[in-house]
Amino acid sequence: MSELAVHDLHAGYGGAQVLHGVSLTVAEGEICAILGPNGAGKTTLLRALSGMVKGRGSVKLDGAELLGRPPDALARLGVAHVPEGRGTFMPLTVEENLRLGAYVRRSGVEDDLERIYTYFPALKPRLKQAAGSLSGGEQQMLALGRALMLRPRLLLLDEPSLGLAPLITRELFHIVRTINEQERTTVVVVEQNAHLALGVAQQAHVLETGRIVLSGTAADIRADEQVAQSYLGYRV
Amino acid sequence: MAGFLQQVIVGLGTGAIYASLALALVLIYRFTGIVNFAQGELAMFSAYVAWQFTAVGVPFWLALVLALVVSFAGGMLIERVIIRPVEGAPELTVVIVTVGLFIFVNAAAGWIWTFLIKDFPNPFPGGALEMGGLSVGFGTLGVFAVVGIVMGLLYLLFQHTKIGLGMRAVSTNPESARLVGIRVGWTLALGWGLAATVGAVSGVLVAPLLFLEPNMMGGVLIYAFAAATLGGFDSPVGAVVGGLVVGVAETLAGAYVTAIGPDLKVGVPLAIILGVLLLRPQGLFGRAVVERA
Repeated sequence: MSELAVHDLHAGYGGAQVLHGVSLTVAEGEICAILGPNGAGKTTLLRALSGMVKGRGSVKLDGAELLGRPPDALARLGVAHVPEGRGTFMPLTVEENLRLGAYVRRSGVEDDLERIYTYFPALKPRLKQAAGSLSGGEQQMLALGRALMLRPRLLLLDEPSLGLAPLITRELFHIVRTINEQERTTVVVVEQNAHLALGVAQQAHVLETGRIVLSGTAADIRADEQVAQSYLGYRV
Repeated sequence: MAGFLQQVIVGLGTGAIYASLALALVLIYRFTGIVNFAQGELAMFSAYVAWQFTAVGVPFWLALVLALVVSFAGGMLIERVIIRPVEGAPELTVVIVTVGLFIFVNAAAGWIWTFLIKDFPNPFPGGALEMGGLSVGFGTLGVFAVVGIVMGLLYLLFQHTKIGLGMRAVSTNPESARLVGIRVGWTLALGWGLAATVGAVSGVLVAPLLFLEPNMMGGVLIYAFAAATLGGFDSPVGAVVGGLVVGVAETLAGAYVTAIGPDLKVGVPLAIILGVLLLRPQGLFGRAVVERA
């Protein structure tokens, strides 16, 4: 639903700079894939967008500056971040995890729970179970469901495929695509599995050692054999 | 046999008081991972606040409510001002801060109200309920009722309110809680306020049984530590069960083991702490932390 504009973003941990001037825009309702090798700064980029690490430069969502606000304030502005490791509240029930996703909202929560069950029917019979008892794939669905409960304007996904079987990962990306189409949610997805990410994204950026080294439409990047070999690690 | 059951009832009565202070310890530990050594002193201070209200003519139950409100605000303030700056510091630093808080609160109470003992009004009538050769003091019944109500309210808060859900989220995964929009700092302060309030209840229950003076909670704190350790330091249910067990064990040991007697029974909680840590460090209801190598 919203346009994201990142300009000259620098971020890091303590003295160690990880991002050195990242600029990119994601049009309203688009999916943007961030690709790149381990340690390139992909996760740090997402963490800067959701306020978990401090950054310099500018990050605007529909013209409003996001930098400098804490994560809880950004959640209230509609930024949902599914972090590395999924951020599940393990001892709480599946339903409680979903309700926490809507913590900053007041109305329509019950309807949205139903909406989540239509996306993820596998969760419905497990509502009263502890979230920690779910399988990895179910936990990733729960994490995505929790993020959707915010009715996000901007959805940030960190390595949704991590540790999951290929079949489940494909299903998950299919759902991300559906959600993006039905709700026009702007999505930034960080992913090691370039093939999958390029399959759902409209545009992609390749990050290396904290800088964007290549940008283009997903189709272009997928077609560029040179890129495929040197950055994405697979042959087309 | 009747004599034995009578001792058990007495033990449960004191155990309920230990349980309420242990509950306060467990609340803070669950939220912040901090063992608050000053919890007993805060409870003592709350009892003084209640006493001060009654001394100026406020009826007892209203004085209690006012003292609970003051305790809640005080607990939140302490978290914001004293604990927040050492958040994330090494455990030893935090322990030293709570020990410092212990000494400060103790001295402050002595400075404000002197170290002379004061008579604290007992809210419950003096008689006893006679039942089949057993007598249960109205005071004991009152303690049960109050601790039961506190537990019930905490259960409702944590299981059936949105703010309680937020508090549980913070205690299990603070980083993720922040990402869903919960103000984690305020939630931690709320946890301290809540613990101070629950502790205040134990202070007000203890004061009429002992006398009100700045060091009155010292012994109770040790029993509460034993109760929390026995129950598992992160389990509210464990704290209550632990409190009752410790109360009964203490009373029975004092009454039936001549070598212990009334004078040495304070050794009982220490033996319980040591035994639990050696045999079952996670306590009866606590979660054992298991990590893959």
